[in-house]
Amino acid sequence: MKMFTCIKYVPDTSEAEVKLNAEGTGVDSSRFSYDINDADNYAVEESVLLKEKYEGDVTVVSIGPKSSDVMIRMAMAKGCDRAIRIEDERIADHDPLMVARVLAGAIKDQEFDLVFTGCMAEDYGQAVTGVALAEILGVPHAAYVKKVEVEDGKVKAHRELEGGLREVVEISLPAVLTIQTGINEPRYAPIRGIRQAQKKELKVMNLDDLGVPVEEVGADASLVVLEKLYIPVVESKAEIIEGDPDEKAEKLASILVKGGLV
Amino acid sequence: MRGMKMTTENQTFAEKFDLLGCIQCGRCTGGCPVTVRTNLNVRRFVYDAYDEDLLDELSRVAEIWDCTACHTCAVRCPKGLKPLEVLIGLRSLIVESGKTEPTVRDALESTFMEGNPWEKPRATRNDWMEGLDVRIAEPDEKVENLFFVCCTIAYDPRVQATAQNMVRLLQKAGVDYAFLGTDETCCGSEIFTLGEDGLFEMLIEDNTEMLNEYQADRIVALSPHCFTTFNTHYPDLNKPVIHYTQLLAELLEQEKLAFKGELAKKIVYHDPCYLGKQSEVFEEPRRVLQAIEGVELVEFNRNRERSLCCEGGGGKMWVESESKIERLAETRIKDARALGADIVAAACPFCVITLDDAVKAEGFEEEMRVAEIMEILEELEVVQGQSSSAQEVED
Repeated sequence: MKMFTCIKYVPDTSEAEVKLNAEGTGVDSSRFSYDINDADNYAVEESVLLKEKYEGDVTVVSIGPKSSDVMIRMAMAKGCDRAIRIEDERIADHDPLMVARVLAGAIKDQEFDLVFTGCMAEDYGQAVTGVALAEILGVPHAAYVKKVEVEDGKVKAHRELEGGLREVVEISLPAVLTIQTGINEPRYAPIRGIRQAQKKELKVMNLDDLGVPVEEVGADASLVVLEKLYIPVVESKAEIIEGDPDEKAEKLASILVKGGLV
Repeated sequence: MRGMKMTTENQTFAEKFDLLGCIQCGRCTGGCPVTVRTNLNVRRFVYDAYDEDLLDELSRVAEIWDCTACHTCAVRCPKGLKPLEVLIGLRSLIVESGKTEPTVRDALESTFMEGNPWEKPRATRNDWMEGLDVRIAEPDEKVENLFFVCCTIAYDPRVQATAQNMVRLLQKAGVDYAFLGTDETCCGSEIFTLGEDGLFEMLIEDNTEMLNEYQADRIVALSPHCFTTFNTHYPDLNKPVIHYTQLLAELLEQEKLAFKGELAKKIVYHDPCYLGKQSEVFEEPRRVLQAIEGVELVEFNRNRERSLCCEGGGGKMWVESESKIERLAETRIKDARALGADIVAAACPFCVITLDDAVKAEGFEEEMRVAEIMEILEELEVVQGQSSSAQEVED
């Protein structure tokens, strides 16, 4: 089975205060640590588990800086076979559609059975890239997948829905699956394994190498314009409504009417 | 060749841990403190691990993760073996397979990526310094005492006071000191005991190179884990490493440091395994506490090399035992209460955290508290000793 797994190097914003950069167009990332996007880590594990079960190979695809090579080497230490890292400043990477076009550029001319992505990236949290990638590649997809069963050229994908419901869909291969966290338990990449993974191929490419025109993935092509980022002002205001149920209802209705909410 | 698959550098598991040296006398299991609450039987592992075909099965026995690396077995072994390292060797097989507990995996990945096992950014390592005017070491500047803080003290709010109070004390006592910048990286103590040999080797190599660049007379470690790890596993360090209680005892002896004020408390000192039985630093912490006027220093029945482990070492901060039997830290705290102690003093971040939890678990917060020695000293006025003042006048 031939697989591609798309991963992203993202900042961990849980342990350092998020501050805007001087231009107000991004966040000051100097105090963040960076790591593989959580859901992508599960996608890597799922692809390696399938490789171990059915044989085949896994190619990692990532758009990111040289500093993300460590994440890619870790994925290869876990069992992925080779990697493509795309680095090109011209990509409008805040727009998931542009990102999907670039990823598709790396995958479309190659044979594949399954493409994995995480269901959502922790930085922008848009949960769009994987689905858009399937559309561009012209293959079916299943999003928020919590269980994968491959049989006879088809994949049974168990999807996590709102309210804890689970939906099982059967789709034909090739397909794109966006993986939800918790589908498996990602393994540890021991340092000796990471060192050995230095021998595996890591190809660094730009848009020209991929043959993806900048007009299709650059700022001019993007329909998303990032105008401004701001930290929401923390406000706390609470009014406790007293009285018997009738009085409470009347007071509440009057507040809603006065506030123009009904 | 038999056994080659489980070993490195053409050494079998039995050769690496000198398993044939074992005479099965049982002193290791007889002294192992965790046997009261788990089924760990280190002697059995030393015996069985000789059979290379059993290694895979042995590595999957849950008890190998109950060992706290207190080193009681090593101290008691009449043949000079380190039975605990057989357990660490078995842990290594799991780590190399990638199938570790998620908590262990995250601690190891964090150490590789950010230089600490607590999943904190490297950039925030020195946030504990906020509000303090700390001298940061530069490689080309001479300094007498170069401090190595430790990941746990740097990031855990419960024990950050150890470093913060140390800075205040050094400044008041006029000691020549400097701290490392955010380059300070995990010593690897817990990485070693969690069985990640490759990462531990990398840390030894990188830290040796980094620390050797500094023009310091010596390194002062705040944690006994870093202290012992540097002295045991870093053969190429170009300067001696001492524990901070040794520095304080030295300053007191040379009359360069004195404490003003009184603390009328009954204090029992808990010997951390890494400071006491592993590095034989028993008296210096006691001398520091005895230098405080009003302190009545009492002793646990199990003190010095017989000190009861708090279960904070051996990577146990990231591996929970399944045992529901009373934790050793709780036993320790009950012993302290029976002695009527107001304060349980410790000189190790892991001991402070585990003993503190035990005080809360037992509901003894009203009667007693756990304190790092540096926290106790903060309650007193630290002054320069007579010797320092005399020198200043001469200058």
